[in-house]
Amino acid sequence: MTKDEVRNMAKDWLKKGVVKGVIGLKAHNGNVAPHLFLKAEEVDSLVLSPKYPLSTVCRKIQSKHPDIKLGIVAFGCDERALIELAKREQVNLKNIEILGVACSEADAKECRCERPYPKQLKIGEKVEGVKDERIDKLLKMNPEKVFDFWKRQFNKCMKCYGCRNVCPVCFCKDCELEQDIAVKGGRIPPDFPTFHLIRAFHTAGTCIACGQCEKTCPMHIPLTILYSMLRKDVKELFDYESGQDVDQKLPLNTTFEESPIKEETV
Amino acid sequence: MSQSDFKPQILCFLCNWCSYAAADLAGVSRLQYPPIRVIKVMCSGRVDPTFIIKALKVADGVLVGGCHIGDCHYATGNHRTKKRVLTLQRLLKNIGINPERVRLEWISAAEGIKFAEVVNDFTNQIKELGPNPLRMMN
Repeated sequence: MTKDEVRNMAKDWLKKGVVKGVIGLKAHNGNVAPHLFLKAEEVDSLVLSPKYPLSTVCRKIQSKHPDIKLGIVAFGCDERALIELAKREQVNLKNIEILGVACSEADAKECRCERPYPKQLKIGEKVEGVKDERIDKLLKMNPEKVFDFWKRQFNKCMKCYGCRNVCPVCFCKDCELEQDIAVKGGRIPPDFPTFHLIRAFHTAGTCIACGQCEKTCPMHIPLTILYSMLRKDVKELFDYESGQDVDQKLPLNTTFEESPIKEETV
Repeated sequence: MSQSDFKPQILCFLCNWCSYAAADLAGVSRLQYPPIRVIKVMCSGRVDPTFIIKALKVADGVLVGGCHIGDCHYATGNHRTKKRVLTLQRLLKNIGINPERVRLEWISAAEGIKFAEVVNDFTNQIKELGPNPLRMMN
């Protein structure tokens, strides 16, 4: 079973001293929480589900202890998040050993994940990605209907900031969504579309399609549709895909020489 | 509201070195163009997409004016503007707002005539599109 293989490998790493600790999820009294496994004996309580953005935990540990070699149990999305964070100098990939695990077909379907496997695959077998069928449906609708759809969806928002807090690639200390000048405070639902469009724009070229925002949203706003569409646009405009290559230049804050525009049509 | 009654509110972000000077030149040359509101920025690269998103709450159209590529006072500020505006236009399209409500133009300080033409053209375009659905919500 995948879980046992992951445990064995983590134990192996800890015993041999490849890493000082392994970041993973730990089952404790029927609950699951992120945990830094320091001893091989502990690893028996390591579990793989539910999905949790462990890259955030890794970033926080590394910000305090940058020199310690860490292992991390990473699915495809976790690895992409680490690569994006490394581009922005939030983590140091040299001190991270990725224990890449492939997702099962059922998991991929549930997440509507297009790439349910990490590049440094250690355990499990690659399964085919799933396409989000909701995007095509929305693309066929006329603009007024689309606008109404999003207006209805965003009116449900209760401004819990859950989507931002869970996002593995959001790390700014001063978030623009908390600035009064961008989004007026103390108003629920937040201004349409300021709050959501600012957040959506910030995901351009950054979003790694983990789907955590949508899973977290208590009002079930289908956020991944919007972010996936924008990800597709960024791919078309700049031929840029997030979370693939650490050396790739970010498209939106570089010059034409560094990352050219491939297509100029709106 | 019939089309003839509709007076589009146009907000312009103009860069200090080129487009603002072009607007100035258009004024000094007594060229006629419809009323607009102008916000002067030091560089078109200063125009955060947030500004445009906020502006769309109060305006029917947003015009961003900068120096021609290669002429930017800060070397590459307008490269970033171009990329950001393109991405923002795609985003607006995705939520059902016509991306033509946001326009990016390169207007140099000597192009007063072009400035008047652009504003005329843009106003007519917005008139055809009608009032901005986001503005109507206020």
